[in-house]
Amino acid sequence: MDRPVKVKVDHLVKKFDELLVLDDISFSVKQGEFLCIVGPTGCGKTTFLNSLTGLYDITGGSITIDGEPVDLKKHRVAYIFQEYSTMPWLTVEQNVQFALNLKREKAEKAKKQAEKYMELVGLTEFRDYYPDQLSASMLQRVVIARAFATEPELLLMDEPYGQLDTELRYRLENELLNLWRQSGTTVIFITHNIEEAVYLGERILVLSNKPTTIKKEIANRLPMPRDIAAPEFIELRNQVTELIKWW
Amino acid sequence: MQRIGKTVWKRLKANRQTLLWIVISFATLLIAWQVASMLSQGRVQIPAPLEVFEAFFRSMTVPIGKNTILEHAGISLWRVLLGFVVASVIGMAIGILMGVSPKAHAVINPLFEFVRPIPPIAWIPLSILWFGLGSSNKIFIIFLASFTYVTINSYEGARNVDPKLIGAARMLGASRRRVFTHVIFPSSVPYIFAGLQIALSVSWAAEVAAEIIYSQNGVGWIITMGMNNGNITQIMVGMIAIGVIGYLLSTLMRVVEGRLCRWNRQET
Ligand SMILES: Nc1ncnc2c1ncn2[C@@H]1O[C@H](COP(=O)(O)OP(=O)(O)OP(=O)(O)O)[C@@H](O)[C@H]1O
Ligand SMILES: [Mg+2]
Repeated sequence: MDRPVKVKVDHLVKKFDELLVLDDISFSVKQGEFLCIVGPTGCGKTTFLNSLTGLYDITGGSITIDGEPVDLKKHRVAYIFQEYSTMPWLTVEQNVQFALNLKREKAEKAKKQAEKYMELVGLTEFRDYYPDQLSASMLQRVVIARAFATEPELLLMDEPYGQLDTELRYRLENELLNLWRQSGTTVIFITHNIEEAVYLGERILVLSNKPTTIKKEIANRLPMPRDIAAPEFIELRNQVTELIKWW
Repeated sequence: MQRIGKTVWKRLKANRQTLLWIVISFATLLIAWQVASMLSQGRVQIPAPLEVFEAFFRSMTVPIGKNTILEHAGISLWRVLLGFVVASVIGMAIGILMGVSPKAHAVINPLFEFVRPIPPIAWIPLSILWFGLGSSNKIFIIFLASFTYVTINSYEGARNVDPKLIGAARMLGASRRRVFTHVIFPSSVPYIFAGLQIALSVSWAAEVAAEIIYSQNGVGWIITMGMNNGNITQIMVGMIAIGVIGYLLSTLMRVVEGRLCRWNRQET
């Protein structure tokens, strides 16, 4: 497990005026790792991703990718928001191609990429549909295909399945694991669903209430695919739940 | 034209009931008109429907004044087109600028609010003095009439872009310029189009008004000439032409909108 460090968060502090949200957070994510972050509502999970991507200025500390300050023009980062962010005026296919068109990728390549990822998330037959004709889970798939089509080196996901029912969530989680395995991309996945974190993550960061620090870091060595009914799974889930009870 | 015909037809066919009511309503109008024209004999002059329609179709080949009715319509439409296109381009630019830049909005909007309540026809005298009696003064009026609607709607469109979508585009590596061309503009299109739609019908009304006040040709002129010569049939012919063209223009806009804003169906 000697993978190089992909993302390094070093003594990160984030304040909104007087409100201290992130209080001295340090951790790193290895290349190709699947990291889950769990934390109570309002503790600053979204704030962390927004700080990482430069949507927010940070108050102190640093965040680096491959040892360099984050630069979205250079580092291929894909960020999947808490809310669905498909472009309503584009069809499924055009949405999946959106980022490639932005980057003036050759039409042929964009089409091929879109084809591949539409296939992987099972949207090929809906290619000509507009977002308002799709269900919530399909919208989220479009967003995921759009992210993977850029072949990101770092994928950030902010409670992407929070609004889906359990069954759909399982399906999308498995899809995500497949994509992750195939692409070898590094993933930071935020959730408040403990089971989801234990099911997906190779490592779980548990955050505290505001002002937010890292409460505990848990390695999750359960083999994949994980069985959510297995005793080891339940044990680990309970362990995380215990930590969270003190929120 | 063929496409408009097709859409109208499709819509009608889709709803036979509606078609029936349309036939009934027009039939009622024609009967009432016929009765009124018969009863009015010797008092006010109301020409019979058939007489008016006959004159209408005759005027397609026999000129009224120097031009056939189709030529008059062409002249009027050409002016509308010029004024409308210029107003649309400038209106979109200014509207979107106000939408994305609060500073631009702060500067431009007060002027705008001041000029807006002045109806376009109130500009006609000034416009004649500034631009002469030809086509330019009418184009100016049309410009004024459509400009406000396009601007306001473009502004609303640009202002109402979902910030989440802008964020998503930025995260996917879009520069400010690409955010504009790939997110702000396309997402404003339905608003802009609603503005263009109103603008075009208002333009048409303004053109007719300007022609009635002073003109040497065009469909509005047909009416004024009819009035000056006491030719009520001619007045009615002109009015029918105005109505038909107005209807065609708005249908045309609806068809174009339907194609461009397919994704936004539920709002139209
Ligand atoms: N732009 C902002 N300006 C001021 N305060 C903010 C801003 N964004 C977030 N905050 C505050 O920072 C804290 C953390 O918010 P954040 O959205 O990051 O929480 P979260 O962990 O993502 O919550 P949730 O689980 O509900 O998504 C909250 O108290 C919030 O009010
Ligand atoms: Mg959040």
